[in-house]
Amino acid sequence: MNQPALLSKQNIIFAILLVVLVAFPFVADSRTLTILLTQIFIFGILAMSYDILLGYTGIVSFGHAMFFGIGAYSTAIMLKEIQPTIPVFIGSIVVGMVLAGILSFFVGLLTLRLKSHFFAMLTLAISGLLLVVAEKWRSVTKGNDGFTFRAPDVFKDRIVFYFCVLACLVIVFLILRRFVNSPLGRVLIAIRENEQRTRSLGFKTLHYKVISSIVAGVIASLAGSLYAISLRFVNTSMMTMDITLDALLMTIIGGVGTLVGPLVGSVVIEFAQHYLSGLARDYPIFERWIIFFGIIYILAVVFFPKGIVGSILTKISKWKQRDQVPLPESKERSK
Amino acid sequence: MENLLKLHNIHTHIGQYHILQGIDFEAKEGEVSVLLGRNGAGKTTTLKTIMGLTPASSGAVHYLNQDITKKPTYDIANLGIGYVPENQGIFGQLTVEENLKVAIRKETPEIMEKQEYVLNLFPDLKKFWKKAGGNLSGGQKQMLAMARAFVNDSKLLLIDEPSKGLAPIVIEKVMEAIVEMKKQTTIVLVEQNFLMASNIGDTYTLIDDGRTVRSGEMSELIQNDELKQKYLGIG
Amino acid sequence: MDLLISLVINGLATGMLIFLLAAGLTLIFGLMDVLNFAHGGLFVWGAYTGVVTYAYTESFLIGIVVSILTGIILGFIMEKLIITPVYGNHVQQILITLGFMLVLQEMIKVAFGPNAIPVTVPSYLAGSWEIGEVIVIKYRVFIIVVGFIIFGIFHYILTRTKIGLIVRAGVINKEMVQALGINIKRVFLFVFMTGASLAALGGMLMAPYSGSIYAEMGMEFAILGFIVVVIGGMGSFSGSLLAAILVGLAGSFMAYYVPYLSLAVNMILMAIVLIFRPQGLFSMIRREST
Ligand SMILES: Nc1ncnc2c1ncn2[C@@H]1O[C@H](COP(=O)(O)OP(=O)(O)O)[C@@H](O)[C@H]1O
Ligand SMILES: [Mg+2]
Repeated sequence: MNQPALLSKQNIIFAILLVVLVAFPFVADSRTLTILLTQIFIFGILAMSYDILLGYTGIVSFGHAMFFGIGAYSTAIMLKEIQPTIPVFIGSIVVGMVLAGILSFFVGLLTLRLKSHFFAMLTLAISGLLLVVAEKWRSVTKGNDGFTFRAPDVFKDRIVFYFCVLACLVIVFLILRRFVNSPLGRVLIAIRENEQRTRSLGFKTLHYKVISSIVAGVIASLAGSLYAISLRFVNTSMMTMDITLDALLMTIIGGVGTLVGPLVGSVVIEFAQHYLSGLARDYPIFERWIIFFGIIYILAVVFFPKGIVGSILTKISKWKQRDQVPLPESKERSK
Repeated sequence: MENLLKLHNIHTHIGQYHILQGIDFEAKEGEVSVLLGRNGAGKTTTLKTIMGLTPASSGAVHYLNQDITKKPTYDIANLGIGYVPENQGIFGQLTVEENLKVAIRKETPEIMEKQEYVLNLFPDLKKFWKKAGGNLSGGQKQMLAMARAFVNDSKLLLIDEPSKGLAPIVIEKVMEAIVEMKKQTTIVLVEQNFLMASNIGDTYTLIDDGRTVRSGEMSELIQNDELKQKYLGIG
Repeated sequence: MDLLISLVINGLATGMLIFLLAAGLTLIFGLMDVLNFAHGGLFVWGAYTGVVTYAYTESFLIGIVVSILTGIILGFIMEKLIITPVYGNHVQQILITLGFMLVLQEMIKVAFGPNAIPVTVPSYLAGSWEIGEVIVIKYRVFIIVVGFIIFGIFHYILTRTKIGLIVRAGVINKEMVQALGINIKRVFLFVFMTGASLAALGGMLMAPYSGSIYAEMGMEFAILGFIVVVIGGMGSFSGSLLAAILVGLAGSFMAYYVPYLSLAVNMILMAIVLIFRPQGLFSMIRREST
């Protein structure tokens, strides 16, 4: 119920982690690792946004990549067409977020009244449509070939960009943590637990679900903008199902409904992807690394539906009954 | 007479809700035992718990001297318990014939004879043999549901509010049918309509807030205005 | 005229393949309330095992038998391991079947290699008939005939047999079916395995038609299958045939006249149906609300 106190254990851990991450580029002079970490942060942001839908509201969307793609394209197009400067970059983030917000509002309104299966299919259809549109609208998107563009000069220094993304990650994390702990977030959790009952308590659940999907969409767009900069390139593959699946995998493996979980998931998946594809040169089976994740993911859904972080948190709160980091679920039930 | 069915201190949870919190109930062979209680008291849930549709989390259900608490629904049904749910549970797109056919386990001569018997009991069903169940009137649906529950030569019938939403004249017919079926089987009846309940019931069990509060002979309840006032809101 | 006929034949053939996939999907959904996102995996596994057998034995028929067997076995494993633990929980169902789809798809690459495998039409089904101006490709007619035969068989089972009656009753009200003494779990398993075998058969029949098979074809076809299930009405067997033919024809005509719109048209159709008529365009069955 209560906001974690400023000096709660949770916050201290986060602070230490933050210091480590800030110090990292100065201590370790590894370009590969810096880039990998940047990538982890970006997908961490995306996965956290997905967690708002899946973990906090209990809906499975197959269309999340749309918003990621919108952010990526907004940034790429504006930097290319206007000029590659920081103000334009910031402007492009805002434009992407606004567009994503508007789109997710309308898509949410259309889709969220449907039950889970139908909702999933409809998001699949809509994102499929949008992908077709993007691929055919070659004058703007250049389709699957995509196009390169120049990033603002300061980002030539990978470390500057690293800090920029890290800052975004921290801000998004703090905002989303606020959000899920707010009364609004609590209603979302109630919807996840039992939508019927929440509705009968007088909440217009559709409104709340739409808000949740707007928040998720807007944050996903930010992740897309950052991702485009990191590659200095966009194409339509950034709005395919694969991106949604990545976010899904990270969220499930890390732990749904925890916010930290998706971050952990992002770390695990990105690192594994990186090293397993390295191993693949010697052992071809590792080229199919997704199998391992698929299996872990399936086991997670059945046996550890709370993922890595969720399972650890449960352990801790079982250890000491009054832990300062109660699971959102147990909060809900203890009412 | 023997207890055909006996519930002992039944607790049932649906999801995280603790719905039944101590139900004791028994039905003697050949009798009509009536479950009474206001809306939301837990009568329907009690029947569902007997059927294993919402299994008890503690307590025991005994039927024919065996423990059926943990048995799956289809096993329970196959032990000879027929269930007529609150909303009748008619398969709307299936014909009357098909509705009965789903229930019939084996087309043995005895069962076909039974089918003849229920069709004589409910001549309307024969008349609308090929009609979709969903297009029947409320009373006909009720009859179809009862016929379907009875057709396998059930030893015990659980009937949930058969008079609900029916016109008085139709209720009369349903009541007659129950009295007729009583000659061949034991009946547990949930009924809000006290007139009907008191007319055909032999014993009563009062349920309130998921608990058995009292049970006894129907004749005794008919005289006890205080009890009726307190738990049924009639007097 | 000849163009029209060959487009129709094309559309019907594709429609039948989609139907084989969608028939299982729709029954599994209607009866078990499970939307199987791994259904495309059964399709592609049927195709690969069948094609490899076909190449090895040089008998197309044995290939078909093996693909059906693959479907039955995979269906059994899936129902027991993947579906049973998550009955009643929609979100978990979507997640787990999707994960299994990924695994099935990647396993194809492990077992059979990542590259597409070319497939030829068996000699006795190769070639075409010339009827006047019109050239009719034999294999397409073969697919259409098989599709209608399968439809006929299953339509008969559903409407004329006890198990079919139970399935139809189960689609309407599972609880009641159990309360009438039927072990619905056994019926679930039966329906799931049947649906899986149909999907696998669809994959196998697809192979010579498209000329090659590849791991991703499962997901691609599954999406068409979902569209068909939605349009036909979830749980409606006849609806899925009509919708599959509609989607097949739309695909074939669009592919000829406005190729880049063909998938989009089906997607739009599905979106519209979902928004305005979620019970499906052809669904004669409307679920009882009680
Ligand atoms: N599926 C369910 N989920 C939550 N509560 C339920 C459910 N079914 C019944 N209840 C609750 O259980 C109580 C008993 O219901 P029920 O057995 O239908 O009562 P009765 O048949 O006596 O009117 C009611 O308060 C009802 O709201
Ligand atoms: Mg009731």
